[in-house]
Amino acid sequence: MTVKVAYYPGCVAQESGRELDMATRAVAAALGIELVDFPTFSCCGSGFIDEANMTLNIALNARNLALAERAGLNTVMTICSTCQGMLTHARHTMKHDAVVKARVDQTLGKIGFQYQGTAVPKHLLQIISEDLGGAEMLRPLVRRPLTGTKVAAFYGCHILRPHDVMKFDDPEEPHTFEDIIKVLGAEPVYYRGRVQCCGFPIQFVKPETAQRIAGNQIREAKQGGADAMATPCPLCHISLDTYQKEAGKAVGEDLNMPVLHFPQLIGIALGLDPKTLGLPRHMVDPQLLLNKVSVSVPA
Amino acid sequence: MTQVTYQILRNDGKGGVPHFQNFVVEIGETEAILTGLIKIRNEQDPTLAVRYSCRQEICGSCAMRVNGKSRLVCSRLVGTETKTHNNTIRIEPMANQPVLRDLVVDQTPFWDRYRHIRPHLILDPANPLPQGKESRMTPEQVDQFRETPRCIACASCYSACPAVGSDPDFLGPMALAKLYRFTVDPRDAAYHERLEGIQNQKLWLCLRCNLCVEACPKDVRPAERIVDLKRLANQEIGKRERGSKHSIGFLNNIEQGGLLNETKLARDSLGLFGMLGQVGKGFQMMRHGKSLKKHPPIQGLSEVQAIYADLNKPEDIKGRERPVGKGVKGE
Repeated sequence: MTVKVAYYPGCVAQESGRELDMATRAVAAALGIELVDFPTFSCCGSGFIDEANMTLNIALNARNLALAERAGLNTVMTICSTCQGMLTHARHTMKHDAVVKARVDQTLGKIGFQYQGTAVPKHLLQIISEDLGGAEMLRPLVRRPLTGTKVAAFYGCHILRPHDVMKFDDPEEPHTFEDIIKVLGAEPVYYRGRVQCCGFPIQFVKPETAQRIAGNQIREAKQGGADAMATPCPLCHISLDTYQKEAGKAVGEDLNMPVLHFPQLIGIALGLDPKTLGLPRHMVDPQLLLNKVSVSVPA
Repeated sequence: MTQVTYQILRNDGKGGVPHFQNFVVEIGETEAILTGLIKIRNEQDPTLAVRYSCRQEICGSCAMRVNGKSRLVCSRLVGTETKTHNNTIRIEPMANQPVLRDLVVDQTPFWDRYRHIRPHLILDPANPLPQGKESRMTPEQVDQFRETPRCIACASCYSACPAVGSDPDFLGPMALAKLYRFTVDPRDAAYHERLEGIQNQKLWLCLRCNLCVEACPKDVRPAERIVDLKRLANQEIGKRERGSKHSIGFLNNIEQGGLLNETKLARDSLGLFGMLGQVGKGFQMMRHGKSLKKHPPIQGLSEVQAIYADLNKPEDIKGRERPVGKGVKGE
């Protein structure tokens, strides 16, 4: 089964986290997901624009959704928990808040858009779990099972909560990511931090607290025996990988925990080329995990 | 009736090592989890400390962690947990508060934060409430804070909050949601003072993780009220604190190219001096293949800029009409 989606990579996958975009393209091709690029998509606002101006934030995302609608696409595929949250929040508000909708419709009308509400934002994790047949769809594609490894999922808040808006998985005890980890051959690590915050939103407000939060989550995954963590959110990836050294200092421990993007984990098990998956572009070398499945990351 | 294992975190409150103790209880799936705890105390171990009172989700006394989630055990049913947890219910005291004994915590830090926000009307002496008459509000005015009066101060949100657990400066979901109620009350005269009083980290350390929204038994939706407070603070105080600098800086950042310019955002939020501390990080990132090259402006940037031209002006947050239809969970 193939699906055609409007591809919404989000800002980080187009700047400091390009490995996420690389891995997504490789994995989507392998799974039969046809990605349609939209060089017109703008940033989702990451929750920060919402704090400064709610209506403007809804309008930006309504435009993003309307762009996909105009191209006749019903799914906007995100690869970031935060983008997923913001786009879904906008769609929810356009559906339930007539006052905001009227204001946004007026603005969009001036630039030639008519928002219909037909395009639905869905994260890659959600597309696999809900539209492509669930984790089991991956089983026949696995070429290099991650047998003997333990992987700790880190969901990223906005793909899960608030549940009455996101309507995906369980907001406090999710399982879709772990289901996939099992099918890929690894053993999931269940720990409290997997549904908690990575600290990213306050990285610029109080770095030491943000890093302590990240450090605690990584430490907990490590205590659970994780060989690596994996996340569907590139903002979590920044907290957990890019700032891991600082996070380690904040909790007084050398963490040395590889953190993969969600599609990278799938890509490894599918036997895709490590370089194509962007595996050399991490602060913490994922080789620690890859040794266990006899893959090497090119320098 | 079915046999359910209650796995309870015991704590003698005298410095002994907390440990899980299992109790097997005969209980129906549609009974409250609290009923099982009372059975255990009455029939198996009278030393089990557990706090409860009304048993109907009004008093807010019986919040604890049920399979890791902060919940009132008087309304959480046995069956909702046992189905997904192999007939086992793990019960721990609330987080973020010191344990007095077993499932009873010392709520002093929670109430201290509540007191801090001065949870009462502050009146302008020059404009007192009418004597002998009601001080009337319109339904629209009341609607601005319709969620917060539902709060029963059970501290489930406080227990679920990772920011509270990581930084004593943060006021926590309940206190901030309650504070919001007074900022939009037309009878209250301390609007500016209240917003000043929660700068900087008392407010801006909220992570927007929405765990409080899920934990709240009354659908007060504290995280959403905190975002409302941040909007009010951004309007009233402007780009002074780091949190405001970051959200307003982000807003302006996107207007320029349509996508985020990460380096510029760091400079706007941290200031030039703060940025110096990030230079080393930048080099580290590049060494590991992290590109900091900014992407070109999006196509159709003029559309985004037209949206800004139309909407990037102060919103009437306090006077906004709010959508109906969002009620208490399950309504």
